[in-house]
Amino acid sequence: MDASPDKIAPKKSRALGKPIWPKVPADFVRAMLAGHSALGLAFAALIYLVCFSGSVAVFTQEFSRWEQPQGPVLQEVSPQAVDVAVQGALAKIPQAHDLLVRLPTPDHPRLSIHGDDAAGGEHTYVADHAGRLVGEARTPWTQFQAELHTVLHLPRAWGGFVVGLTGVALLSSLISGVLSHPRVLKDAFAFRWGGSKRLQEADLHNRISVWGLPFHLVVSLTGAFLGLTTIIVGVLALATFKGDASKAYALFQGPTVKDDPRPAAKVIDVRSGLDAVAARSPDARATYIYVEHPGERGQHAIINLATDGRLSRGETVVVDGAGQILGEVGYESGSLGFRVLSAMTPLHFGWFGGWPVKVAYFLLGLGLTAVISSGVAIWLARRRDKGRPAPGLERLWVAFVWSQPLAYAFSALVVFLSATPVPIGAWAMATLAACASSAVGTPSGISTALRRTTAGLLALVALAHTALYAPAMADALGWLIDAALLVAALGLALTTVSPRSTSDHASCPMDHAQAPRFDDR
Amino acid sequence: MSALWALALAPLPLAGAVLLKRAWDNPGPQRPWLILGGWSLLILALAASVPLMGPLRGPCAILAVGSTAILAFVAAGVERRNARKKAARELAPEPSDRRRVAWRGWLRGFLAGPLAGVAALGCGLAVAICAPGQIQTRMVIGGLIVPFLWAGGMAWTLSDDKILRAFAVLASVATLTLGAAFLKGAL
Repeated sequence: MDASPDKIAPKKSRALGKPIWPKVPADFVRAMLAGHSALGLAFAALIYLVCFSGSVAVFTQEFSRWEQPQGPVLQEVSPQAVDVAVQGALAKIPQAHDLLVRLPTPDHPRLSIHGDDAAGGEHTYVADHAGRLVGEARTPWTQFQAELHTVLHLPRAWGGFVVGLTGVALLSSLISGVLSHPRVLKDAFAFRWGGSKRLQEADLHNRISVWGLPFHLVVSLTGAFLGLTTIIVGVLALATFKGDASKAYALFQGPTVKDDPRPAAKVIDVRSGLDAVAARSPDARATYIYVEHPGERGQHAIINLATDGRLSRGETVVVDGAGQILGEVGYESGSLGFRVLSAMTPLHFGWFGGWPVKVAYFLLGLGLTAVISSGVAIWLARRRDKGRPAPGLERLWVAFVWSQPLAYAFSALVVFLSATPVPIGAWAMATLAACASSAVGTPSGISTALRRTTAGLLALVALAHTALYAPAMADALGWLIDAALLVAALGLALTTVSPRSTSDHASCPMDHAQAPRFDDR
Repeated sequence: MSALWALALAPLPLAGAVLLKRAWDNPGPQRPWLILGGWSLLILALAASVPLMGPLRGPCAILAVGSTAILAFVAAGVERRNARKKAARELAPEPSDRRRVAWRGWLRGFLAGPLAGVAALGCGLAVAICAPGQIQTRMVIGGLIVPFLWAGGMAWTLSDDKILRAFAVLASVATLTLGAAFLKGAL
């Protein structure tokens, strides 16, 4: 956060009386600002990318439904139907090493079975209420956006580390930002737009930072923890298990079943397992099942049970091939460590309070991207104020900021229009093209062009999706997301035709580098 | 239904923000009461969410939904200014002007990145291995403090002009904590 200039209403500030906040030495604030600025600039692009992708990833379940809106839409399903679906999937993938069965939940009302065939190909089948496999699900864009946020499409260990490090940098920026903002309470409602470029950006930066602080702390800390898990567990294993990380992970996996590859007399009975856990935990509902080593004597199932009203990813129960309960991990009944661990993922993604919390996470996430964007804009404006403008950087930053909505929309459009879509390629190409647009024009011109292009692409995505699926849109969420995309496209387009876009003001909260030439220098 | 409680309770933090804004706008004899009322409503919203949505889930949901509502309220009160009007003299604190010396920059980067990270990992490991309590709890708490301490170390080393002091502290912490963890070496 930037210390907010206090030059508009000095009389009012004095009238407020003596601050209750302890006086922070100016040198300390200046030193903190220097560190805050250096860190923010070093990680700005990465933090922006991770925050933008994270805002979108809040709706991962919904995008998955949107990509396969033909259903079947199931509110609940019987254990017998799940068993039929598992047997059906095993008939199609007889060599499956394991299967992931996702049961219908309010967020994702589908019954699906995911497995790898002998050639390594991945298949996800969807089943109807009776467990009959009725088709194969394809959700390439949903997977693309989720992996962009969690691992940046890098190898998993490296990607997780980079994202975790980005979370640490964000957390560090929050700490230095709070410490460098001694007027945090006094300026809590000051939000001024227009006039001094730096004051405008500082107000935007500080207001979102302060009122969104609980959210910012939660997502950065949980994100850093989730991303750095591999390295933390690796070092822990080095110190305690002679480098065997699997022993560290085993502490969180509950009862283990000895691997026995000999053929079993009967393929695993998922129905009995589900009946057994339902009898044991009548208030909980099964959300997913890992069927491990089906058809072998060591076959077993790991069933996840979610209970309404808990901030937890659910309890995990292990059942053997005959459906007998072997035990549970203890995510909800165990020690504090288990319960904290099970809260991490839902807390990070906003998957714990229904759609109100998801919408709030999405908006607060976009607010965080505006904070990052304005942080760089403040630095650029300060340079300009001091007679050291960086016009190339101003253009590049505004191009990068708007490249992401554009690249996301373009990749989604490619997915719908191509028979063999590669969304990551489309995203990378669009990002590079948008950034290359900074070579010519002014920041405001680049911003306007990219916003208009994004608006057009968003509308095209909605229209393409409607055209492809309208006759078979069984899931109403498909219509809802198409409508939301059209509204977003319209809103974005309106920001470019507003009279203010041609006046002296930056017309869009995320568009910070477009108006330095209008500074009141 | 329980998810909608977050929406139902959202007016409470919003009303709290309205009271705080009134105190902020109009200093007067009522100001302490407005501040007290504002903060009380924010706390009441958090407390009310516990029986309605769960002990951890409720406050987390209210913090998210309430923050969004308050931000919308703050945005609604935006003050538009004449962009062409000359602004008053800049009074904002400026970041300290450091000498630009290459080796100091690299050393600062090394301190904020790898060394602060190793020191934080050492502290996390020391908690996981040496602290009392159940193994899983020690591991999770130790793991959680790693990013927090790393971030704190990063903020400190990037801000502190005396980088040799930061180097000495971080190196000592890393040596002590990692030494203790590897010496004990068993969960």
